[in-house]
Amino acid sequence: MGLVVLRRKRPIGLPHGLERPSSSANDVYLSRRNDLIAWGRKYSMWPFNFGLSCCYVEMATSITSKFDISRFGSEIIRGSPREADVMVVAGTVFAKMAPLVLHMYEQMMEPRWVICMGSCASSGGMYDIYSVVQGVDSFLPVDVYVQGCPPSPDAFMRGLVLLGEAVATEKRPLSWVVGPQGVIRTVKPSLRDTMRPERQKQTDLRSPDEV
Amino acid sequence: MIATTGTIGELSERFGAGSLPAQSTKDGVPTVWAGAERFREVLTWLKSREGGSYSMLLDITAIDERSRAHREDQPPADFSVVYYLVSMERNQDVRVKVPLLGSYPSLRTITDLWPNADWYERETWDMFGITFEGHPHLRRILTPPWWEGHPLRKEHPARATEMGPYHMSSDDAQRMLATLEFKPEDWGMKRENGDHQYMFLNIGPQHPATHGIVRFTVQLDGEEIVDLVPDIGFHHRGAEKMGERQTWHTYIPYTDRIDYLGGLLNNFPYVLAVEKLAGIEVPERAQVIRVMMAELFRVISHLVYYGTFSADLGQMSPLFWMFNDRERAFDIVEAVTGGRMHPAWFRIGGVAMDLPAGWDRMMRDFITYMRRRIRDYDVTVMKNRIVKARTKGIGLVSKEEAVAWGATGPFLRASGVDWDLRKKRPYGGYEKFEFDVPVGTHGDSYDRVAMHVEEIRQSLRIMEQCLNNMPAGHYKSDHPLATPPRKERTMHDIETLINHFLGVSWGPVVPAGEAIAVAEGSKGNHSYYLVSDGGTMSYRTRIRTPSFAHIQMVPMLCRGLTIPDLVAILGSIDYVLADIDR
Repeated sequence: MGLVVLRRKRPIGLPHGLERPSSSANDVYLSRRNDLIAWGRKYSMWPFNFGLSCCYVEMATSITSKFDISRFGSEIIRGSPREADVMVVAGTVFAKMAPLVLHMYEQMMEPRWVICMGSCASSGGMYDIYSVVQGVDSFLPVDVYVQGCPPSPDAFMRGLVLLGEAVATEKRPLSWVVGPQGVIRTVKPSLRDTMRPERQKQTDLRSPDEV
Repeated sequence: MIATTGTIGELSERFGAGSLPAQSTKDGVPTVWAGAERFREVLTWLKSREGGSYSMLLDITAIDERSRAHREDQPPADFSVVYYLVSMERNQDVRVKVPLLGSYPSLRTITDLWPNADWYERETWDMFGITFEGHPHLRRILTPPWWEGHPLRKEHPARATEMGPYHMSSDDAQRMLATLEFKPEDWGMKRENGDHQYMFLNIGPQHPATHGIVRFTVQLDGEEIVDLVPDIGFHHRGAEKMGERQTWHTYIPYTDRIDYLGGLLNNFPYVLAVEKLAGIEVPERAQVIRVMMAELFRVISHLVYYGTFSADLGQMSPLFWMFNDRERAFDIVEAVTGGRMHPAWFRIGGVAMDLPAGWDRMMRDFITYMRRRIRDYDVTVMKNRIVKARTKGIGLVSKEEAVAWGATGPFLRASGVDWDLRKKRPYGGYEKFEFDVPVGTHGDSYDRVAMHVEEIRQSLRIMEQCLNNMPAGHYKSDHPLATPPRKERTMHDIETLINHFLGVSWGPVVPAGEAIAVAEGSKGNHSYYLVSDGGTMSYRTRIRTPSFAHIQMVPMLCRGLTIPDLVAILGSIDYVLADIDR
């Protein structure tokens, strides 16, 4: 892959694999083109303005000023699937809606990602009922699962950050005629396992009798 | 208890003694059985009754009676169709039940008597397979067109996991989508008018202006809306079937998710209905806590409504401000209940736990803060010239139309009908509070918003009274069916211990009977009609929601207007998708 020379005064974050040659001046950085593009993708994940039920209200809350999703480069909510990078399946996947969800996912352009927000979208959650599809992953590839019913805006944004981290290390062909084809994704970690030691350290739980 | 006077007495006088057997219910609503051959006559008479007519059809539903054990004072039936009428003049309700025999029975429609019977009959057909003869469009409404079976029949599987793994390929999806194609002929619409064609514009089910997954197909003549067909059911989550397998106690979280912006406001009618069935009296402190939290959720829900309405009209800042105010309210909800949107915090017989120390300071700060903010929003939204131009005189509903179509809540009051259940039929302790009920004059979109704004003020007033007069006492009843039971005496005697164990593990066994509780939600009247067959679960749970009735009125509201008006009208109707499709 070709080398890219970046010139900027104050980098906001270093792309993965970006090196600063010791011989060069302070404002020159070198990076592989693939890494640079992945870094750019990480900070400009545009969600599709798409919601199914309760979870969407919490997703919309993350856009408002207390939570401010624009800190992660995702405040540009796109109304058309063609312009969106990430589809947040926010809510229950209903039997009548499932074909539409798939149809809209197929209308999105590569590269595209899916965040599965909330218990219903992940597994059906508390709705093991005739009209609910038990998990959107039965017909869509899911990148990140966010738990909660509904997840708080913080939980959703954490999922978005996790997805950003995965996207930044993903290897994709630069074009359908250049280089090896196929996407090399990072292994998805299970946060339940990685967070367990830290969570087990917590022994003092706040009493619900005080505000 | 069956009253022999009042409506039942009048009915037997008019139709002959014994011809309309009465049934006793736990809610005290006069209930009569009328045969399929004369129920229309009975309903017509009730509708046109002199000196207080039952002018509003609140609900139509059905019960699959085939496996019900306790039907002692009821005529034989495989299915029964239930009509629920409200008389505002008399401030009384009546329930008319029609017994039907056979596995797929049929009945005459009443769409000619009440226009809103249209969707209710479609729903009953969709859910039970009961045919309504003479109905103009008897087709599926909540389930998709490719569905087989009628979900609320007892033989229909309840769980998705009973129905095998879900498979859907891209081709399957396209085949299903083809069945959703809109054909104007199906709805008696013409494609062209003489020299020019109509344009059919599809809005939704995925569209920012629809506030959720609902679809409107608009018939346009140039810019003008000729007609509109709402397509609902995209959000059908089987909440009523769910009630038939969750215990009385574990169903509470499902109610939060009906009007998912209303949180605890949804718990209210459900626990009231169970308490009527079980005969539980709620202690005073629990009542006041309930009222306070319900009013807090009314403010939360109205803030989302107010913000999204102004965003629909193109305003940006109010939405952000109001969502921030909502976060402040959620801080209180989180401190008190531990949850945010869906706390499921009311319990049968009280609430889940007592208020935490320091709640009063948070509540007082919020009330003071919110009063100031609401004044600011008057300037930015309600007095805004563009907002006025786009909503005044748009989406008009007259008093008579609102009643005939079963509108409730702020929607009904905007049309000039003074009907607030908290005032007219105080439930859950509302009779102790002073507040005013705002009533509109024009019935347009602007009035509907103005009702909500004033209601925020009134809710703050009620919350302040709760704050200043919070009674001491227990937060839960000591009735043995209150769930989970009170803990104090559990470890001291074996009877209480057994009762506690059963209440927590199996859930309470509620005596057989029927009861409805209607409450004033943020969007209108929510009702839970519960049928107990003497078990740990409900035999039939019927949830009547306001948004269902209001969305049915959209075609009437926007004929002759334009697409931007439709967006403003939808913004002014406070609706939530789960509240339409359940």
